[in-house]
Amino acid sequence: MLSVNVLFAACIGYVILLFLIAFIVDRRTRKKPIGWLHSPVVYTLSISVYCTSWTFYGAVGSAARNGFEFITIYLGPTLVFVGWWWLLRKLVRIGRAHKITSIADLISSRYGKSPSLAVIVTLIAVIATTPYIALQLQSVTRSYQVIAGEADGVTTAFWVAAGMALFTILFGTRNLDANERHHGVVAAIAVEAIVKLFALLAVGIFATYSVADGLSDIFDDVTMEAIRGSGDIFGPRWATLMFLSATAIICLPRQFQVTVVENIEERHLATASWLFPLYLFGMTLFIMPIALVGLDVMPTGSNPDLYVLTLPLAKQQNELVLLAFLGGFSSATSMVILAAIAVSTMVSNHIVMPVALRVIPASNEVSGDVRNLLLTSRRISIGLILALGFLYFYVSGGSDALAAIGLIAFVGVAQFLPSLLGGVFWRGATRAGAITGLLIGFVFWVYTLFLPSFGGDFILSADAIKNGLWGIEVLRPQALFGLTDMDPLVHAVVWSVGANALSFIVVSGLTRNNALEHLQSTLFVDVFRSAGGAPTSFSNAAADSEDLFVLAQRILGAEPARKLFDEMAQSQGLEKGLPHASDIVIARLERELSGSIGAASAHAMVTRIAGRQTVGMMELIDIADETQQLIETSRQLSEKSEELQNTAKQLRIVNERLRTLDAQKDDFLSQVSHELRTPMTSIRSFSEILKNDPDISENDKTRFVSIIQDESIRLTRLLDEILDISRLEAGMSQIKLRPMDANDAVIGALETVSGTTRTAGVNVKTDLDDGPVHILVNDDRLRQVMINILSNAVKYNSSPDPEILVRTQRVNSSVFIDIIDNGGGVPPEISGSIFDKFTRGHHEGSSDGAGLGLAISLAIMRAMNGNLTLEHTPENTNFFRISLENPTR
Amino acid sequence: MSDEIKPTDLQLTRRKTLDRSIILLVVGAVLLMPPIIGISLVDMKIGGIPVTVLYVFVIWAFLIIGAAFLARPLRDSDRDAAANTPENGS
Repeated sequence: MLSVNVLFAACIGYVILLFLIAFIVDRRTRKKPIGWLHSPVVYTLSISVYCTSWTFYGAVGSAARNGFEFITIYLGPTLVFVGWWWLLRKLVRIGRAHKITSIADLISSRYGKSPSLAVIVTLIAVIATTPYIALQLQSVTRSYQVIAGEADGVTTAFWVAAGMALFTILFGTRNLDANERHHGVVAAIAVEAIVKLFALLAVGIFATYSVADGLSDIFDDVTMEAIRGSGDIFGPRWATLMFLSATAIICLPRQFQVTVVENIEERHLATASWLFPLYLFGMTLFIMPIALVGLDVMPTGSNPDLYVLTLPLAKQQNELVLLAFLGGFSSATSMVILAAIAVSTMVSNHIVMPVALRVIPASNEVSGDVRNLLLTSRRISIGLILALGFLYFYVSGGSDALAAIGLIAFVGVAQFLPSLLGGVFWRGATRAGAITGLLIGFVFWVYTLFLPSFGGDFILSADAIKNGLWGIEVLRPQALFGLTDMDPLVHAVVWSVGANALSFIVVSGLTRNNALEHLQSTLFVDVFRSAGGAPTSFSNAAADSEDLFVLAQRILGAEPARKLFDEMAQSQGLEKGLPHASDIVIARLERELSGSIGAASAHAMVTRIAGRQTVGMMELIDIADETQQLIETSRQLSEKSEELQNTAKQLRIVNERLRTLDAQKDDFLSQVSHELRTPMTSIRSFSEILKNDPDISENDKTRFVSIIQDESIRLTRLLDEILDISRLEAGMSQIKLRPMDANDAVIGALETVSGTTRTAGVNVKTDLDDGPVHILVNDDRLRQVMINILSNAVKYNSSPDPEILVRTQRVNSSVFIDIIDNGGGVPPEISGSIFDKFTRGHHEGSSDGAGLGLAISLAIMRAMNGNLTLEHTPENTNFFRISLENPTR
Repeated sequence: MSDEIKPTDLQLTRRKTLDRSIILLVVGAVLLMPPIIGISLVDMKIGGIPVTVLYVFVIWAFLIIGAAFLARPLRDSDRDAAANTPENGS
């Protein structure tokens, strides 16, 4: 028989060993991280804190009572870990990205960092953890009783609780880690995981191959009833248990602690995805055989929960008994330590600290004080949690089956599931929905499962449990609202989780997210897209914002960028500083930048900074600079191109004019050749006649020669005129201007043509302005113009009583010389083209000019800064007007 | 596997691995949940072990093996997780 002293010594030695491990690891980690501690195996072993004394002792008891059903508790977590990619990975990522310290922190952060939600989750966690801790106390107490004989259960449990509280305080609150990670504790838990696995396997192998004769011997006379239990094993209860265990591996505060908070590397999860199920596989492999051997070998009436201990004890295997006891002790202590740490973190962070910080004057907030306050509040919380566990044990008097107590805790933490899943997968989930769901689920859980578990000793009387509160039948806790014929556990799950999920969904649908909730929901649901691999913890988010700001400055310019970021920071409710690099900010910035550099490159640049691409900041700035240069160049180019367009337009206009001029020149040339051709033809034909025809009379000869002469003169004149007009139009002939009296010029010109007019019988009149009319002209040229016009007037005048009036007058700064005849004026059909070259009047026959006279006159007048126009009178006739400037004005 | 994997291959492998991981999960869940698990409820023993027990443990073992085979490609295809790895890792 194992002595109590040896047991004590072993326990103390074991605890000291664990403590040393934790101590050394903590010290070493602070100096330099320890390699093996960072291995995924340690991570997996720490997750195996899932296997508590419920597994170690209770699973065998459950197998002995209900058959194979116990396996569901391990199949659920297996499925969750096999499907790690879809949920656990996201939780771990969110946990790392937002520095989540507990499940209460996660849920409250997701729903707009709601303090009330954190308090609700913490309270539910405390209450749900209580029976679970009581379970550990009970199992350690009973296992002690088995060896030490009939010691007083309550006293033993008290000392166990006190010892564990001390143990946990020493372990868990020796220091404060910013990430709430406890490397030392994790190392100790890993060692305990190995101890409990080894112990259970040892007992299993002993039972199977020493007590019994192998597996086939054990299962030889086993009946189907032993496997399927009393009821329908694969019914609703099986499904419910699978659901609960799958939920528990996520929602239990201590599981959340080891899986999410204590996760050092995200990649470890991949290894845990198969290694943890393998661990569970190993733990459960011999549970059925131990239970069956126990049922076979042990005397009837012995507690099947303790077969793991009593079986070796009955066979006098002292070393194995000690190992089994230490295994059970390990399972219990690891669970209690981690659960107490996890829950005390929640209690101190979400309940004690907010109250304390409000109570303590702000001036006293020295960092050391806060640190001490935090540690003290945690220590008190740990004591409180173990006290509650002890109280539960004391009041309930210890349940007969360990598994039943554990399941109460499972259903309790399952209340977190709707808010948790909704929070990470559904953006529309709101704070109001989460609070409603949690509260309703909690009330149903307390009423249908937690209070009845005391069997009438706490709040609800035994009568109320049996017949309903105040005797109202529909309020029977285990047949609520008439939902009878159901396993109490399934009943509780249907009501609590069902009502929780339903109210969560409905209220979320009816309410709206506020700005912060909206932001957080985006960050949580899109954790793989938005925050990215560089974990968007607070400092990193700030770094992202800084990078984005620098980028924006480069692209938008310093002042607009600052304005934009101020605006965005304000919209996030920040007084000053940079906005958080949220999706909204990034999308906004992207839109702004895309205005400057195009949508695609804006997206690429912004997501590279905000996202997790490994392009350095400097490279991006280079891109931005290049872009800026490109923008500058393209701006210059567009200016140039505009200039070119203008030049091209001008060129087009010039070209158009040139074409016109060219056409005019061609026209002119063809007309010139035509004009030259006529006299040339007659000269040639008459000279040919003179040369070839000898029989020509002298009389004819003289006539012909005189024609040739006339034509030659005409030709010469024509060529002179052409030369003249070319010079005038090219501005080549310099005309010397002198001041003179316009009246004198008119009189002189009239004298010159007096011979012609007299011959033609034209009556010439003058109407001259009084006094001298000063003009600045070339006397000869003006006379040439006037003679040309006057001779035209004589030549084309068809009136029977021809008359010409020459008038000078001053109008403002101009001097007009009008030459008016009574011949009906220029016919309207040629009045538009009268000044064109080679245009003649309507008397074709009498033409002796080349039609250049008026064109030359106009060119002369223009060369003398004057003009020659055809003026129309109200009497539907017209006259020529020579206009000149009056220089004396 | 060759050391040089083309990006397209990587993409394809990744998608395939993701498909397989969800198939493993769904098949495991369906086989271990009522009503399908009811098929194991026969009064028979194989190698001295009841079929019900054997059924669950064999499926469980397959799930573990499947998860072990998928863990590596899934982990390696997650570039973000790699980026999350601290520099001082062992």
